Amino acid sequence: MSNDPLNPLDESHLLLNRRTFLGRGATALGTGALASLLGRGGATAAASGGGLQGLPGYPPKPPRAKYVIYLFQNGAPTHVDLFDYKPKLRELHGKSVPDGYVAGKRFSTMTGKADGKLLLAPVEPFHQRGQSGAWVSEFLPYTAQVADRLCFVKGMHTDAVNHAPAISLMLSGAQIPGRPTLGAWLTYGLGCETENLPAFVVMTSVSKGTTCGQIFYDFYWGSGFLPSRYQGVKFRGNGDPVLYLSNPSGLDPSLRRAMLDDLAVLNERKLREHGDPEIATRISQYEMAFRMQTSVPELTDLSKEPESVLSLYGPSVREQGTFAYNCLMARRLIERGVRCVQVMHAGWDQHRSLTTELYTQCRDTDQPSAGLVLDLQQRGLLDDTLVIWGGEFGRTPFIQGALDDRKNWGRDHHPYAYTSWMAGGGVKAGLSHGETDDLGMNVVSDGVHVHDLQATILHLMGIDHERLTYRFQGRDFRLTDVHGRVVSEILS
Amino acid sequence: MTSDFRDWNPATRWKSLGTVLGFALGLGSAEAAETVRFSRDVLPILADHCFACHGPDAAARKGGLRLDVREGALGPGKSGKVAIVPGDPKASEVIRRVLTADADDVMPPPEAHRPVSQDQIATLSRWIAEGAPWGRHWAYEPPQRPAPPSVPGVSNPIDAFVRSRLAREGLEPAPEASRETLLRRLSFDLTGLPPTPDEIRVFVEDTQPGAYERQVDRLLASPRHGERLAWDWLEAARYADSNGYQGDGERTMWPWRDWVVREFNANRPFDDFTTWQLAGDLLPSPAPEQRLATGFVRNHMINGEGGRIPEENRIDYLFDQTETVATVWLGATFNCTRCHDHKYDPFTQKDYFSLLAFFDRTAVDGGGGDPQARPNLEWPSETQKERRQWLETELKASARTVRTLESVKFPRPAGKPVLEASGVRDLPKEIQDALAQDPEQRDGARLNPLAAHWRTNDAPYAGALERQKHLRDERDGLNRSIPRVMVMEDQERFRDTFVLARGNYEQPGARVVAAVPKGLSTSPAGSPTNRLGLAQWILSPGHPLTARVAVNRSWQLFFGLGLVKTSEDFGLQGERPSHPELLDWLAVEFRDSGWDLKHLHRLIVTSATYRQASRTPPEIRERDPENRLLARGARLRMPSWMIRDAALFHAGLLVEDIGGPPVKPYQPPGIWEEATFGTKRYEQDHGASLYRRSLYVFWRRIVGPTLFFDVASRQTCTVRTPRTNVPLHALLTLNDITYVEAARALAARVAGAADTDPERLRWLYREVVGRLPDAEEEGRLLGSLHGYRQRFATEPGRARELVEVGEIRIPTDLDPAALAAWTVVCSTVLNLDEALNVE
Repeated sequence: MSNDPLNPLDESHLLLNRRTFLGRGATALGTGALASLLGRGGATAAASGGGLQGLPGYPPKPPRAKYVIYLFQNGAPTHVDLFDYKPKLRELHGKSVPDGYVAGKRFSTMTGKADGKLLLAPVEPFHQRGQSGAWVSEFLPYTAQVADRLCFVKGMHTDAVNHAPAISLMLSGAQIPGRPTLGAWLTYGLGCETENLPAFVVMTSVSKGTTCGQIFYDFYWGSGFLPSRYQGVKFRGNGDPVLYLSNPSGLDPSLRRAMLDDLAVLNERKLREHGDPEIATRISQYEMAFRMQTSVPELTDLSKEPESVLSLYGPSVREQGTFAYNCLMARRLIERGVRCVQVMHAGWDQHRSLTTELYTQCRDTDQPSAGLVLDLQQRGLLDDTLVIWGGEFGRTPFIQGALDDRKNWGRDHHPYAYTSWMAGGGVKAGLSHGETDDLGMNVVSDGVHVHDLQATILHLMGIDHERLTYRFQGRDFRLTDVHGRVVSEILS
Repeated sequence: MTSDFRDWNPATRWKSLGTVLGFALGLGSAEAAETVRFSRDVLPILADHCFACHGPDAAARKGGLRLDVREGALGPGKSGKVAIVPGDPKASEVIRRVLTADADDVMPPPEAHRPVSQDQIATLSRWIAEGAPWGRHWAYEPPQRPAPPSVPGVSNPIDAFVRSRLAREGLEPAPEASRETLLRRLSFDLTGLPPTPDEIRVFVEDTQPGAYERQVDRLLASPRHGERLAWDWLEAARYADSNGYQGDGERTMWPWRDWVVREFNANRPFDDFTTWQLAGDLLPSPAPEQRLATGFVRNHMINGEGGRIPEENRIDYLFDQTETVATVWLGATFNCTRCHDHKYDPFTQKDYFSLLAFFDRTAVDGGGGDPQARPNLEWPSETQKERRQWLETELKASARTVRTLESVKFPRPAGKPVLEASGVRDLPKEIQDALAQDPEQRDGARLNPLAAHWRTNDAPYAGALERQKHLRDERDGLNRSIPRVMVMEDQERFRDTFVLARGNYEQPGARVVAAVPKGLSTSPAGSPTNRLGLAQWILSPGHPLTARVAVNRSWQLFFGLGLVKTSEDFGLQGERPSHPELLDWLAVEFRDSGWDLKHLHRLIVTSATYRQASRTPPEIRERDPENRLLARGARLRMPSWMIRDAALFHAGLLVEDIGGPPVKPYQPPGIWEEATFGTKRYEQDHGASLYRRSLYVFWRRIVGPTLFFDVASRQTCTVRTPRTNVPLHALLTLNDITYVEAARALAARVAGAADTDPERLRWLYREVVGRLPDAEEEGRLLGSLHGYRQRFATEPGRARELVEVGEIRIPTDLDPAALAAWTVVCSTVLNLDEALNVE
């Protein structure tokens, strides 16, 4: 074999080298191994990145959406200040919670018993928006503009009263850490199209200057007992989006290529000699690592995004690590075939900051969320993409803090009612579904439990939530545990 | 993948009762001649398809029918019909119901999506026809030592069991691996580190009998052995250096970690190892080590999130403790019984809370996020102890000096306080307050103003005060720096424990007292009703699970999979052992050897089964992809921590100090900061700490070290970790500073090892993969080396950048271009599949 792969100008040699390798591989490895080398099919094609195989015959039903973008609002947005308009709260502002609303209910230790707590009017005015007349407060002017494209689920309720268990319940179906999350289940069932990027990507952000203390635990995107290739890959908010993506200083891509060619040839030799199919998988994984070194920088290169698109997401869209940047990245990811993108934004925990930090919070998330919906629609991607916006619970219609201390007004955790919205693939646009009582305290009609929302998401992806199971420690587990009902009323 | 998507089609299933029963009565295939065995053939069917509604869980039971016990199955159900009539399948309701085409009547009901197959129906029918002999799940019968089958030329009983099974399958064992391969495998498996080329040479040249056994003894005696075993134990024990959850305070449990290493090295019998960790504090006059060992129980996460209800936390901790003990010693999935009676195994919710009650006697109240929450145990080093002793003595002496000076300075009648000396009342209040205290009692807030007051006009007195202050500060600082290990300690009066409905702390039901799960093994006579009694029960000779579960984990360590693949679940839903007799033989041997781990490990690694080559013909690989039949040796990608340790070792960088506070090696910037909004800053260590074994790397629970993969999260008990093969792993071993620095340090070693490139390459191969390169490998890599060198010679800036990655400075005669070129080659070799695998 001619052996100067190191001539930096001789790219054609490198290319040829790879072709020769794959060509020979076809005869040397047999079809299974070759398939896995190419990153698709084969029993050993086990990759967190591209061409991840789904279950045979999946999706079993025609899907209404192919991709999911979950805009998770970590900390619990206040439904009564944003979406769930309750004029009576203004009427009874400063009055005690009337009898019958909170009896026997559990709140966080910060509230304790809720009897006698004082009701708090919405901080900002509400208006009905668009053709649909959905209520959205002045906190969210951009969301208000796209209200006709959204489906507001106003009867959300959950079981947990603290952040980590509630987020875990929302994302994994169980309060205790360690179960597979929505994205893991989706990629386990459906696999993904891209060979160059992970199937399930997570990005996180927090508004600058907020005092929030919630942490992004890695079990929010874990694979639990599913094989770890299904776990979300967290793209970082600074530096390399993927850990260890950059070559060490001094080693440029052509040298890396040359080195990987050596590795491939030597590993292939080992494969011939030994026959362990894991070796074939390893070769393909090193190749995919190399592809990611190219595809990730390409992904994050915004130079070809027109200004008109960037401006949809608002002023901080160019700044890595912001919610706006992550929303744009979510679109770019699903465009490239990534199955599930989980964008998490923390800081919604307004225990004493309804009149201060809530504004920042809305400023940082409102325009990008709406911009994402518009951008997806303009590109014709919204039909194939399910966008979900929401947190882990709501906030109490009564005040936390003192009524005469407006600067520190707050609301505590409230699992009994909250609002999420959905948009895109298979969801009725311009619908407000479900209703809470006149104080926004409890759901009175069309309640949607966390497990119901999960069942609905899976349904939209063509999956029966009762059928997608995985046996672990002798039990068939599923995302919705033993619960969940598809909310057919919101399907288009 | 166990999802069941088979169609439910009663029409095709309804072939003919006659056919099925005919088959059942032995008129079918030749296989039917073999007797149906209840525990092997029947119980799994009943468990999988029936127990969810007709099993141990009383609350979920339907139609009053219980199929997990004989009396239930043979008695009439609510309908009056008899489920199983021994000897008469046709009269047995069970058979009628699985065969019927009536969708309302058929079992299991279609909505359960768990149809019974024709073969399974045939098995049930035959079993009933044969009289429906009952039995128990294999793992709940105490293991008896089976006689190893007689296989010519085989002396190790392991081989006898494995070979006789292979013979039944018509398979031949693989030949023994080469000595190079064997020593590399043995060294990694027993010490987590590779052999040196010299060690390989010695072994290859040792032609005397017992050469291999001598290597086994050498490696078992190595202090690295304890470090190797400790990793897996730490994962099971969910050991970490922080609490987890918000706040994630740093704890100091590492003296417990070091204890584990010491005990493995001392070959502490597994029964003592167990007793100390579960109940060392309850032993008569417990030694400090025995109390330290109970840190095992306290390694759980602690939730300091604001707004959390302490009781909820406290109960969470107890859940974790209970389930960890059940997984580690009983191979039981107790978490299922937190909310309801077990669906498959004979454990009730009451059993769960009775077991939990053993741990529910401490003063732990669940409040706050103190990472050293009491009860705790101070664990000073010898140096700290000595220094503290010295400081206490000096403090007393210095207080005496001050007292003497004050008796002169503030003259007063004997026995009267300083305040009564003349003039003292005129001093500032702050000074008077300070003087009012005995010199030994004064803290910094008293001593500082006092010393300041007299600094200018009574230097000797002020000096004595300052010395007092310095000693005191040092002592206080020292006390703060002494690790405190959270341990177990029962209170004399402890709270009541209740069954919690659905596991909800707010819904206490019936009160329970501490008790071991019934039906497995009886407690030894006279054992106390506390954790010590629990340990005695776990270790009782008739216990069906403890020894099996333990030897299975050891097997898993050497073969990648346990004899029972589901090493965390020996229950009805766990996998049956591939070699049941071998498992039982090993269990009894282990127990009867005095729970001697090194004996067990020696037995395993000296077996011919372990020593087989891992190569196998494709048809056998296809037939047995997971190597359950053991017709070949294991070939396993090393755990990521071992890959790192090996890289440091080859590079000559590894610093082999045992134990001590955790270290913080290279990690990309911002990992902790991003996860914690800047509240936790990663301050990377420098110098030797960068090169310690992975066992000692600081484990932040909410954001584990990024330099490992496929490891337990250390959030809850884990006894089996996956081995995946994904591109992110490749990026790590190609690009992480740790690995690039190791490659360049290795390059420097390569350079000094020989004078010519071919010789150097051979040295490198021997060092990393334990063998010489063949002509193809040599040609390829030397060609590349040449190209790299030319390339770096034209770009010296790049060469310098590459050879300066990492903090180590290594003097070398090699020019940067050559060193950089060798660095790339070394990185290539470290990333070879062969280097990442134990073959």
